[in-house]
Amino acid sequence: MTKWDYDGPILEIDNLSISFFTRLREIPAVMDFSCTVQPGEAMGLVGESGCGKSTVALGVMRDLGKNGRIVGGSIKFKGRDLTTMTEEELREIRGSQIAMIYQEPMASLNPAMKIGQQLMEVPMIHEGVSKAEAYKRALEVVTDVRLPDPERMLKSYPHQLSGGQQQRIVIAMALMTKPALLILDEPTTALDVTVEAAVVDLVKDLGKKYGTSMLFISHNLGLVLETCNRLCVMYSGEAVETGSIKDVFDKMRHPYTQALFRSIPLPGADKNSRPLVAIPGNFPLPHERPPGCNFGPRCDYFEAGRCDAQEITMAPVEGQDRHDTRCLKFTEIDWNAPPEVAAKQEKTAVGEVVLRMEDLRKYYEVSANALFGGGDTKVVKANETLSFEAREGETLAIVGESGCGKSTFAKVLMGLETATAGTIMLYDNEIQSTPIESRNTETVSGVQMVFQNPFDTLNPSMTVGRQIIRALEIFGEGKTDADRRERMLELLDLVKLPRAFADRMPRQLSGGQKQRVGIARAFAGGAKIVVADEPVSALDVSVQAAVTDLLMEIQRKNKTTLLFISHDLSIVRYLSDRVMVMYLGHVVELGTTDQVFAPPYHPYTEALLSAVPIADTRVKKKHIVLEGEIPSAMNPPPGCPFQTRCRWKSKVPGNLCETEVPPVRRLGNGHQVKCHLSDADFASMEPVIEVAAE
Amino acid sequence: MDMLTWTGALSALNPVLMIAAGLLLIAVVLQILTSFFAADPGITANPDGTVAAQGGIYGLAERAVRWLFIALVVICLAYLVAGIVMPMGKAGIVGAISKRLLPVWIALIVLFVLSFNFRRKLGLYGKLFDSTIGMIGFGMVMFWVFTALFSNQIITSGVLDQIAQLKNKAPGSPLPDGTGWYLLGGDHLGRDVFSRMIKGSLIVIEIAPLATLFAFMVGITLGLPAGYYGGRLDAVLSFLANLILAFPVILLFYLLVTPEIVTTGLPQFMAVVLFLFPLIFMIVLLNSRYYVQPTRRNIMIAAVVILGGWLYLSLISTPDTRISFLPKAIDLFNVPANILIVFVSVVFVNSPTVFRIVRGITLDIKTRDYVSAAQTRGERPWYIMLWEILPNARGPLIVDFCLRIGYTTILLGTLGFFGLGLSPESPDWGSTINAGRKLLTIAPHPAIVPALALLSLVLGLNLLADGLREESLKD
Repeated sequence: MTKWDYDGPILEIDNLSISFFTRLREIPAVMDFSCTVQPGEAMGLVGESGCGKSTVALGVMRDLGKNGRIVGGSIKFKGRDLTTMTEEELREIRGSQIAMIYQEPMASLNPAMKIGQQLMEVPMIHEGVSKAEAYKRALEVVTDVRLPDPERMLKSYPHQLSGGQQQRIVIAMALMTKPALLILDEPTTALDVTVEAAVVDLVKDLGKKYGTSMLFISHNLGLVLETCNRLCVMYSGEAVETGSIKDVFDKMRHPYTQALFRSIPLPGADKNSRPLVAIPGNFPLPHERPPGCNFGPRCDYFEAGRCDAQEITMAPVEGQDRHDTRCLKFTEIDWNAPPEVAAKQEKTAVGEVVLRMEDLRKYYEVSANALFGGGDTKVVKANETLSFEAREGETLAIVGESGCGKSTFAKVLMGLETATAGTIMLYDNEIQSTPIESRNTETVSGVQMVFQNPFDTLNPSMTVGRQIIRALEIFGEGKTDADRRERMLELLDLVKLPRAFADRMPRQLSGGQKQRVGIARAFAGGAKIVVADEPVSALDVSVQAAVTDLLMEIQRKNKTTLLFISHDLSIVRYLSDRVMVMYLGHVVELGTTDQVFAPPYHPYTEALLSAVPIADTRVKKKHIVLEGEIPSAMNPPPGCPFQTRCRWKSKVPGNLCETEVPPVRRLGNGHQVKCHLSDADFASMEPVIEVAAE
Repeated sequence: MDMLTWTGALSALNPVLMIAAGLLLIAVVLQILTSFFAADPGITANPDGTVAAQGGIYGLAERAVRWLFIALVVICLAYLVAGIVMPMGKAGIVGAISKRLLPVWIALIVLFVLSFNFRRKLGLYGKLFDSTIGMIGFGMVMFWVFTALFSNQIITSGVLDQIAQLKNKAPGSPLPDGTGWYLLGGDHLGRDVFSRMIKGSLIVIEIAPLATLFAFMVGITLGLPAGYYGGRLDAVLSFLANLILAFPVILLFYLLVTPEIVTTGLPQFMAVVLFLFPLIFMIVLLNSRYYVQPTRRNIMIAAVVILGGWLYLSLISTPDTRISFLPKAIDLFNVPANILIVFVSVVFVNSPTVFRIVRGITLDIKTRDYVSAAQTRGERPWYIMLWEILPNARGPLIVDFCLRIGYTTILLGTLGFFGLGLSPESPDWGSTINAGRKLLTIAPHPAIVPALALLSLVLGLNLLADGLREESLKD
């Protein structure tokens, strides 16, 4: 079968319904879903986890597994219905006409085959070309995805490449046969922000170059804004709104879309004056969907007897280009009404210095052989000359990508590791060389941590109550079991969970609820300093706002110092008082939030700001793409750690950047930057993010 | 009294059984052959949420296989049920055995009906009843457990009673005094093969799970720290485990039972060490959790030390051996030296493998955030290992436990077969097979019966493990 010519839309999905069949019941995953992708168009599919966006993609590939089935509707690819094709025909189309890119690059590549072989296989199978021709093409696409030294790449195994390089290879593989449709399922979620920005940039360019249509699945509205022409917002198995990016972002006509935009930290949001508005309630489970509008129970505009009385269909919005919404009341709602402003909070007063780090260093020695020692020992410098102080009631954000040493820093602070050099002062105690076993209970309970992954943070085989009580026992809170139980219930109140949850197992809780339990546990001993390691990054957008607000509220109440580790600059800008940017173990910039988010920047901060996708059409960003990968901490570059990717390097005379670690430059008011650039260069920097006037 | 035939008055059913079996075979072959050519079975989803497949010759063969299989099972059940209903001996050997096993059938039916009705409330055990394979395996295992429990009611004659006339007599031979039959014939000493097989199950069911449990205790107490601490401790322990695994097992057993070695007390000393592990395990388990509440901790640990210690001392102290210090008055029980050897060897052989599994799972689980959370709130290592890591490793461990009971059963058989471990007149299956193999050409039944029993128990355990694994993976 060859590629046939067809003038109409590449992909037409019409009233598609997909269900999964389990032992107990049928679970509808996608209901009445329609969308059209025109040639060369990029369609974004946005929604929270469990809304069925990946199921749509798998449905298009007809790869639903044993218990998934298309129960209604049609999927037309270039005019031919995929739902009725035989396995044979599908095999022809998959990989050659429709290609898919998955989230986890390592899992998409065969670890036992060389990159070259895996790439060459594609045209050899689909088009029966010769080996030499296939090699030539492989070389061509690897060059196209901007990988250095393509020939060496083809000879290497997947594990020898970094995550970003692997994802580029996966993209190359998808492009080998010049498919008409490319499905990308969260292609950059597993990557770092600056690497993500480069990959997104690449996908956009390749889409243009090859004329490929794209179905881009993501939970990140900002990313969709940057990559797509049109988007489709999904909620609980249904498309709730679809239209061009501009219409949906600026003139949304569905309450869910509106709520979604109000719950993400856009520029201008502020924890004190303009707090985020969390969507109340929880995402309904597929078998517990409400009658009528699925979003009804969480909607501000809900009207009983109307919204829950009938099945709601998509209705076109007049006067706009293919803009549809699944809302009965969209003509009645005043879409320009500003959100109800929650009570404004006073900015918390910042108190005494509670934590001071001076010149902290943490080196690891990695030896080759565990049993007999010996071999080469390598020194990994995880933290280099870390100095800062944090005050009572303050939120200090620590920003950086993987390998920047932020986790090591947390470990040293918690006492899981001891520092190699330098001092950590907690109030008046030096704790840098006291491991956690020798710390007193007060110190241990005073410094606690909230973890990143909600699915990992609770022990799956212990009840929620038991886990909090255990923390209370360890911290010596309460005299009797009854005391501790009472205290535990109070903690559940504090994090706004019903008391009945005490006897639940973690698997019965949603991600956001688990994270709340994690927060309750951290505050069990009245923690003074809480290290929050990306506490919301694994949560869905609508839940993020609620958990963030909870953290802020507890902080205000307890005057806790919050060390907020994150790579997401939008949320950092929203909630932090001061920001510390780290790169390869060095603090490259430190200052108040306003100082860090405005020029002059450290070149890395500048790139990071540019890389973070912002879901706002009014925002104009300067386009800075970092070349290359983050160097390994095992083998850091000489001189300035950032010199390998810095775009300002040419401004510094001589080879200063390559030979000398830059000194810490104080720019006034506590703003410090580690860079060789001259004052004139700093003055010439332009802001990366500009919000156009409304 | 007459010699019993296999099916007695029910022999009219035999041709039906044969035909059904033959047809089933043909249908299966047909199904396999057509599966190569048949088109996509065209599966459609019905609006009520079920799935229906229809399709040609393949579907036909599939249905034929299903119905013939059901017919076969029904006929087999008919033999058993008729045997229970009809008077003893009328329904042949099969019927008579079925009648003797009546308490087992009743117990099995009660267990299955109860478990099946409450399966949604019974956790992983309840989930087992969603998997056919698991149910079959569980049924086979429980069959032997109940047989062991009711063995005194089931047997027809004493385990050691010999009747000279019935030496090597075929199954169904009547007793000379006319009071009954040797249902599965007599062995080379004129003992009842059926009764010995039934009694043998008691020994297997008593020893195998217990010995495996000890192996698990040892494996877990060593595997957890190896995985958790890693580094040199891990390297040394793993090396030792590999060393033991590399040592030929049979040679080890021979060494252990050599009289010279037994008199040095080596097996006993090994027992002293190995049986200490469960005690240490319990103490550490309780201490790590309750050290924050000292009074409660002290009471619990005192109870464990006194009770467990007493059991432990009774177990290792045996009069007239090198380790004999408890006065007779407070020595609770004496384990025969040969059973002690069986225990020691089973633990010795199995614990390195368990060690490896536990170590591997620990390596995985210790990277989880809840382990870090425990570390950052200052929990001690043993609490983390025993209360945070171990409960979450239970899935694979339960599955492996089932499989390992199977291995241990075979190991017991092997030990018995070589005349190691248990006494020669013991009715355990291994020894019986060994005794029976000498006359295999003249009278195969004394060896075949216990061999089939062993096979069905091990098969049952394997199926059970499969079922558990399958169900524990599902949601």
